[in-house]
Amino acid sequence: MAILEAAHLAKRFGPVTAVHDLSLTVGEGEVAGLLGPNGAGKSTTLHMLLGLITPDAGTITMFGMELARHRIEVLSRVNFAASYVDLPGPLLVQEVLDAFARLYAVRRPAARVAEMIELLELGPLRRRRVMDLSSGQRTRVQLAKALVNAPQLLVLDEPTANLDPDAGDRIRGLLSRVARESGSAMLITSHNMREVERMCDRIHFMAEGRVVAAGSAEELAGRYGAEDLEEVFLKVARG
Amino acid sequence: MTTLTLPPLSLAARRSRVLGVVRRDFAALRRSPIRMFEILFWPTVELLLWGFVTVFLQSQKVPFVVAFLIGAVLLWQVLQKASNEISIAFLEDIWSRNLLNVQVSPLSSVEYLVGLVLFSLGKVAFAVAVMAGLAYALYGFGVTSLGVGLVPFMGVLLMLGWSLGLVGIAAVLRFGENAQVIAWSLVFVVQPLAGIFYPVSVLPEPLQAVSWFLPASHVFEGMRTVMAGGAVPWDRLAWAAGLNVAYLAATLGLFAWALSYARRHGKLSRFGD
Repeated sequence: MAILEAAHLAKRFGPVTAVHDLSLTVGEGEVAGLLGPNGAGKSTTLHMLLGLITPDAGTITMFGMELARHRIEVLSRVNFAASYVDLPGPLLVQEVLDAFARLYAVRRPAARVAEMIELLELGPLRRRRVMDLSSGQRTRVQLAKALVNAPQLLVLDEPTANLDPDAGDRIRGLLSRVARESGSAMLITSHNMREVERMCDRIHFMAEGRVVAAGSAEELAGRYGAEDLEEVFLKVARG
Repeated sequence: MTTLTLPPLSLAARRSRVLGVVRRDFAALRRSPIRMFEILFWPTVELLLWGFVTVFLQSQKVPFVVAFLIGAVLLWQVLQKASNEISIAFLEDIWSRNLLNVQVSPLSSVEYLVGLVLFSLGKVAFAVAVMAGLAYALYGFGVTSLGVGLVPFMGVLLMLGWSLGLVGIAAVLRFGENAQVIAWSLVFVVQPLAGIFYPVSVLPEPLQAVSWFLPASHVFEGMRTVMAGGAVPWDRLAWAAGLNVAYLAATLGLFAWALSYARRHGKLSRFGD
């Protein structure tokens, strides 16, 4: 069953067409990837799905409700993390998580924050200010924030972009574990092809604002006569 | 549907979200000694400056001047802080690149604004309480000399400050981060027109006409009337309150339009880039 259905989305910024007639679905518990070269329209698409950008055309339905009409109900079951977004620097890790637990109307914020701190192994950082953390540590706090409401759909825009290979690998392992254990669906953008191959059940390739191919990593490699996803990416990006 | 969270449209969920904003801003304030210092620094400087001016004028036998000027400084701080604190709380989300996290949460615009207003109310109350204590200790001025008019005077100024703060936020949403200067300076456009330190009759006639459409002008004129031994001019305050309701409704509409504009043009996504 699809928990996210986007149909015929379109967005123009002045003369630039960022997204054109884009449709995609994400099923319950599915980990979907959104790939494409810079400027393909991935972030614009994610931001439309999160209500940050109003589409010029098309509809977005999540959990059977239209986002435009049921914004609060829909967004209370979704969460988001991105490499280009940060958290309030002066706050302690625990305070940030407590604030977001309340913004998502979690019934027992203190207990849920404690669970997130344990899950993301943030115990030693609990009383440290966000601004004093390393990139890897901040990413873990971002993910704790993104999981605080046990979202049924987790949207991640290049979640490991600022991390070294070791930290990135740990985060990928963690996300895979969360997807497996919680049954949350995920929609991920990334420029790391190995990350996408490892994590995603289904991949949507975007170019010039459209989805030009969709399928599992193996299906796409077979369709494009490529050895791996990176080769598929290069073929799609270069037309 | 998960049982981890409250039903999103319930009163309890709305209260949780509003308190989330208040607690977050309070925690940020508590962790930032510079911001704590700033709450009291400028109001105290202004109080000292005008306080010494009044001491000098008093020595020149200018009647009523101490009460007028010190009262004006205190009430002016209510207006200025109410306006700036709302804008700053919003700008903090931009400066910390946290605005997207807030905007993708189920927090509604009204809940966000209520949270900002409640937090700003706490800061204004704290700053004014400290200043009132200082004014009494240094110049023997008691705010209770404003009588029963004190509460409605402050109420009118708070509401006008929130409206000005909302205009500042709307400007940033519409024009981007460069419009921060509007958020900071809008309240100072009101200052010369509102008859804070002098009667409105001092202004040229065309500006007097403008001044009477500022709720603050009626407060400061009313304050001088009370301090000169007159009664609280309730008719003036009612007019000021009516203007405030109209301005607040208009600025809420402006904020909603600016947010919608920012979403249509992808401007929210660009904050913090």
